[in-house]
Amino acid sequence: MKEITMDVLKDAAHRLLFTMSEKEYETLLEEFGILARQMEKIGEIQGLESYEPMTFPFPCENSFLREDVPSAPLNRDEALANAGSKEDGQIKLPKVVG
Amino acid sequence: MNFEAIIGLEIHVQMKTKSKMFSSSPNSFSREPNTEVTPFDMAYPGTMPRVNKQAVINAIRVANALHMTIDHTLYFDRKNYFYSDLPKGFQITQQRRPIGSNGYVDILDKDGNVKRIRIERIHMEEDTCKQLHLSDCSLLDYNRAGTPLVEIVSLPDIRSGTEAMHYVEAIRNIVVYSLTSDGKMEEGSLRCDVNVSLRPFGQEAFGTKVEIKNLNSIKNIEQALDYEIARQSACLLTGTPVQQETRRFDEASGKTVLMRVKTDAVDYKYFCEPNIAPIALSDEFVQNAIDTCPELYDAKKARYLKAGLSDTDASIILSDLSMALYFEKALAGAKSAKTVANFLIVEVNSYLNKNGIGIASFPMEAETLKDICNLQEDGFTHKQAMQVFSYVLEHGGSAEEARKALKLEKQSNDEGAVLSFVTQVLDANPQSIADFKAGKDRAIGFLVGQVMKLSKGKVNPAAVSKTLQEEIKKR
Repeated sequence: MKEITMDVLKDAAHRLLFTMSEKEYETLLEEFGILARQMEKIGEIQGLESYEPMTFPFPCENSFLREDVPSAPLNRDEALANAGSKEDGQIKLPKVVG
Repeated sequence: MNFEAIIGLEIHVQMKTKSKMFSSSPNSFSREPNTEVTPFDMAYPGTMPRVNKQAVINAIRVANALHMTIDHTLYFDRKNYFYSDLPKGFQITQQRRPIGSNGYVDILDKDGNVKRIRIERIHMEEDTCKQLHLSDCSLLDYNRAGTPLVEIVSLPDIRSGTEAMHYVEAIRNIVVYSLTSDGKMEEGSLRCDVNVSLRPFGQEAFGTKVEIKNLNSIKNIEQALDYEIARQSACLLTGTPVQQETRRFDEASGKTVLMRVKTDAVDYKYFCEPNIAPIALSDEFVQNAIDTCPELYDAKKARYLKAGLSDTDASIILSDLSMALYFEKALAGAKSAKTVANFLIVEVNSYLNKNGIGIASFPMEAETLKDICNLQEDGFTHKQAMQVFSYVLEHGGSAEEARKALKLEKQSNDEGAVLSFVTQVLDANPQSIADFKAGKDRAIGFLVGQVMKLSKGKVNPAAVSKTLQEEIKKR
């Protein structure tokens, strides 16, 4: 597994378009360290590839499909209520492509 | 050195369902941004996906039309990536268990021979939100977020731009005629990504693959591929390695332009979508979806050819679903399919072009057009039928009302009546007979005109011409 370093975190934050304080970076680095040690322990277990994912550990098939009937959507003001910045009824972001 | 092009296509088709793939938000391509969204489409916590039944039915129909094995249990997965067009941070798709696998479609290659293109998989997924990139910011419209998509992935069996074009046409015909999608490339409801690489003929291993994105018309696919094949050939011939990259087609210059160089493959960390338990589709459900599929393009075409249409005429009518549906309405009770087709292709299309409208806005009922065509089959001339056609377009009403208002009478083929008029005209025009015998073919036209005048247009000009020539010989 790739080692998580401060540089890796800062590069990721840059790519994901956000910034954090130095203290937040330190906390995150520490948490990733804990996670990495836990993953290492799991990695020591032999023969894992012969097991199916546990997403649905018990048979739980159903046959439900939703009828194709539209319902009333949110009104636009409600839909955009949490947006920090808006323009022409759309959510405004810093430019995401060059 | 000659190279062989290896081409594979991924096609995303937007389904025209009434609601979205996993939410009951309307899916009507509204123009007002952010007016067709529910909390699920905006990824609010606690919202849960519920699979749209019609989207599943559509996917089954497309899979069946492509001769695929249909998975009777639906599984969904999460494709994880972080980008502003993806509110949840993941897209719900079918990575491990696509609804259809191992199919094919037959197309014509550049020599007109049938060629089979294998299709690896089709799966259902949701569309992303639409981004508008302006000079200083990007704007997000969530109306498109969650629109049902079916993705169709071919194997790299395509060898030229022309084949790629025919392949996309075949796919478009299937999704349009199964009423899955409107298939409009220029509006983004059918989107193609093309992968192309070259290798020397006879070599087994594939060359470096280049992806071309955003091809928004069938013609562009052929042009972009022709350009890209030439570009890669030139690279290889001059010893420049082809880079693994993503390019887009620039319509104005007819060239492909570099978008980005691909480094490592992106790892989407696929995992099973835990909020949708596996859904079992009964055999009855799958069979019913197939049995109730509207008649597809190829079946319609075969039927039109059998009814007497030429391949060209059938293709023209079928190039527009609304035109085909109008044609079929007019066909019910029509005495000649060919006459209806001719009227539709020549007269109706000319009216539509002149007025800048589609067949959906054509003011004449299909049944009226059928009646006008039947007049022609019942002995009225094409010219008379056209008079009725124009009259109905101008005044409305039925074909019969128009015929009466125009006082049109059927022309007679009655041999006795024709002969009587012909004899009278020949007796009165000995000079024209002499002219015709002296080789002046124009004289026959004059004589036909005289007969038409004498009969007040009630006899068939073709029959008149034939009888005139026979009678002149006897004199």
